[in-house]
Amino acid sequence: MNRISHTLKYPLHPISHNPSGVDYTVRNLTLGIIGAGGDGVITIGELLTSSAAHEGLHVMNTKSYGPQIRGGEAATMVRFSECPVLSQGDSLDVLVAFNWRDFGRFAGELIVRPDTVVLHDPHDRNDPPPEIAAQGRHLYQVPFEQLARDTAGTSLAKNIICIGLLGALFNLPLNHTRAALERKFARKGPKVVEANRKALMAGETFVHEIARSDDVRLDWERDEMQLVLTGNDAVSYGALYAGCRFFAGYPITPGSEILGWMSRQLPRYGGYAIQPEDEIAAIGMVVGASFAGVKAMTATSGPGFALMSEMLGLASIMELPLVVVNVQRVGPSTGIPTKTEQADLDIALHGTHGDSPRVVLAPTTMATSFAAGIQAFYIAEKYQLPVIILTDQFLAARKDTIPRERLTRHKDFDKIARRLPPTPRQLAQYQRYSPAPDGVSPMSHPGMARGMYHATGLEHTTQGYPTSNGEKHQQMSHKRCTKLEAIARDLKFHRRHGSGEARVGVVTWGSSEGAVREAIEQLTAEGYAISIFVPVLLRPLPVDELQVYLDGLDQLVVVEMSYAGQFMHHLRAYIQLPARTAHYKRAGGRPFTVTEIREQLLPLVNPRTARPRQPESGP
Amino acid sequence: MTGKLRWRDYKSDMGIVWCPGCGNYGLLTALHRALAELELPPEQVAVASGIGCSGRVSGYMRTYGIHGVHGRALPIAQGIKLAKPELTVIAAGGDGDGLSIGAGHFPHAARRNTDITYILFDNHVYGLTKGHVSPTSPLGHITPSSVYGTLDEPLDPLALALVYKAPFIARGFSADLRRLTPILKEAIAFPGFSFVQVLSPCVTFRGRSEFDAIRERAYYLGDDYDQTNRQAAFALTEVPERLALGVIYKAWERRLNLHEKVVTIQQEAEAQSPPEPVEELVRIFEP
Repeated sequence: MNRISHTLKYPLHPISHNPSGVDYTVRNLTLGIIGAGGDGVITIGELLTSSAAHEGLHVMNTKSYGPQIRGGEAATMVRFSECPVLSQGDSLDVLVAFNWRDFGRFAGELIVRPDTVVLHDPHDRNDPPPEIAAQGRHLYQVPFEQLARDTAGTSLAKNIICIGLLGALFNLPLNHTRAALERKFARKGPKVVEANRKALMAGETFVHEIARSDDVRLDWERDEMQLVLTGNDAVSYGALYAGCRFFAGYPITPGSEILGWMSRQLPRYGGYAIQPEDEIAAIGMVVGASFAGVKAMTATSGPGFALMSEMLGLASIMELPLVVVNVQRVGPSTGIPTKTEQADLDIALHGTHGDSPRVVLAPTTMATSFAAGIQAFYIAEKYQLPVIILTDQFLAARKDTIPRERLTRHKDFDKIARRLPPTPRQLAQYQRYSPAPDGVSPMSHPGMARGMYHATGLEHTTQGYPTSNGEKHQQMSHKRCTKLEAIARDLKFHRRHGSGEARVGVVTWGSSEGAVREAIEQLTAEGYAISIFVPVLLRPLPVDELQVYLDGLDQLVVVEMSYAGQFMHHLRAYIQLPARTAHYKRAGGRPFTVTEIREQLLPLVNPRTARPRQPESGP
Repeated sequence: MTGKLRWRDYKSDMGIVWCPGCGNYGLLTALHRALAELELPPEQVAVASGIGCSGRVSGYMRTYGIHGVHGRALPIAQGIKLAKPELTVIAAGGDGDGLSIGAGHFPHAARRNTDITYILFDNHVYGLTKGHVSPTSPLGHITPSSVYGTLDEPLDPLALALVYKAPFIARGFSADLRRLTPILKEAIAFPGFSFVQVLSPCVTFRGRSEFDAIRERAYYLGDDYDQTNRQAAFALTEVPERLALGVIYKAWERRLNLHEKVVTIQQEAEAQSPPEPVEELVRIFEP
């Protein structure tokens, strides 16, 4: 039997006539749902995601909202696959539109193809947009609202009707949904539970009322249960795992979820998370807590991060361990708070006055976000300096499935470092900033007898006393900056995928890795040799490893989501790039699509070095 | 520590940069004495200071000291206290540091009631930048940045502290070591947020006459003054031409401080859902 695999068949083309008898089930399906506030669109995405994860399917679930705080239009996208999902899905295989007015508001975000299967509620009096009207082939009218009223007694249950129907139509896993619905509505009493059960069943039964003109049906091998989490969850859990017991954070989209997560979990572990009056107070409290000897973190997004710049310099000169998460959003200024971008790189690398060494980690996936939470504290505590975890809205706010062992078994998880304490001999004549080859001197904390010292933002002597001597400033600058060299030797935190012999390669960073990797997997499956290098440690850059990688290339493509090309500037500052270096950059606002990246890469894949092979058939 | 602690045990050997005759010397000594009389081991004390002449104070203490950025002594002090509640934590800064750039932190430190002591070194001027106008400078004060006299009404730190519901509010005079030391002692021992405004004249930019001017206007509150009466405390701030010294206000009812409330939350959270080993917390991500 011919099966169409994840990598060979993209984008999905369901074929309506099926004379050959070929099985057109798909192993990769992207679903988009749009509705007004109260339609329960987000709940559909979440229930389908957790249900699929339960059966071992891989899922990526993104959400999008209108500007209203509550009650505005909402959209959710769920991409199901048998293989780990690398990107959000370029276009929809299935669209559910509760009304067309809201569909128009997400134009450009949810891409509909001529063969997209569309479900629509005839209750909506708005006219379908021209691209849908012209399509007509797989457009089904489903009276969601009517069915909800008839079965559950309330139109509110139309999202549950929708889940039932989607499950039956496209063979989505629903077993877990029944249990999840019972849990979700148990508090509201048996009547509500029963109404929802009926609604789910009514949705499933309605499948018989539909005369199908498409053959889209998801098939998958049942696998181990997957975990579901957001990037913000992953970073938070990593930090807790690493021993973070103090958190201070000021609410800001899309970084606030870390504050919420820490507020719930830290008190259970004898810690505390506080929401102070502003971001300056937040990082100020983290400075205080770290000075007192407790592992401490703050999290924010662009504007809040800008406010923290001065304290980052303070932590640098005081040689204080601390961790700051910056969940990037579109900037500058308020920008587009709910959309993704990679343009806070400059401020993360350099944003404060003076020479201020700090470390920047940019995770790319849920697993690397978790690992970054651990690594950040390892570096901060061991080297006594601020560490910035640079994520972005796309990575932080979406939900991905992940195998359990990615959060339970990993070599990084043993990397729990404590700061270097002074020995009794050192305490006899304690010098907080005594010289050391790697720049790291023993550090006492309040409560430690004879360890008393003065931490100051003024340049200081080895004893911590203020000085305005230029020679001393030179020595201390050297001490602080030397740490970055030691860190570069100590840690290898980068990712490499694709063919080892490839002469064409991509260097990118952060969440952009996903779409680029998927494009590369497609090209590889088509017989081209191409690879990707993603530094997770952005400062200090893994210069040696990067240079070795680049030396093997004839053609480099740098991909980033910054109109000004901040990542390229950073690479150029440290690395000799190949003569043939292409640069694909654009402003944020929407994540990269695979098609977009593919269009950039395909013309560059050199036929001399990349031997086209016969496409393999079947899995 | 063996033997009785003396005030010199709290004095660091760092060279002091304050001008001769500066009011801060008296305040510094009173602070050393208060800590010694409270018999607090120096390693259990942390002083967080801001930027300005007064910001240097954390370096002149043989305790743990942190000299942060301008205006942010309070957040840093609260972070220390939250992380290590067993420590005695003192925040120190000037009128510019605490009422201008850092004014946004004052109400929140007060309403949060963190068990720290905030000492405001009030000299009515920016000394370190060479005499610019401050938020407590008197109306019409002429400085390099208010050449024709300042047009802004001065702030009253005591009135602010009262409005912010600080549970302990006092005012002292740095030239009166004998009376300032017990005020600081009481503030430090107070189990909640305590605020002490210390009048600490700047002889360089406001002249030596400042000491006499304060002496003429100041008086100590007597035993007949009810420290727990908020209205009486407000009434004192309505008479700016006279400077009441001593404990201006002390909440009659003992309010739980932030740390005590945090402990309750920690206990509740643990009771609701006993903490598993962190590696097992991964369960919360199960679908």
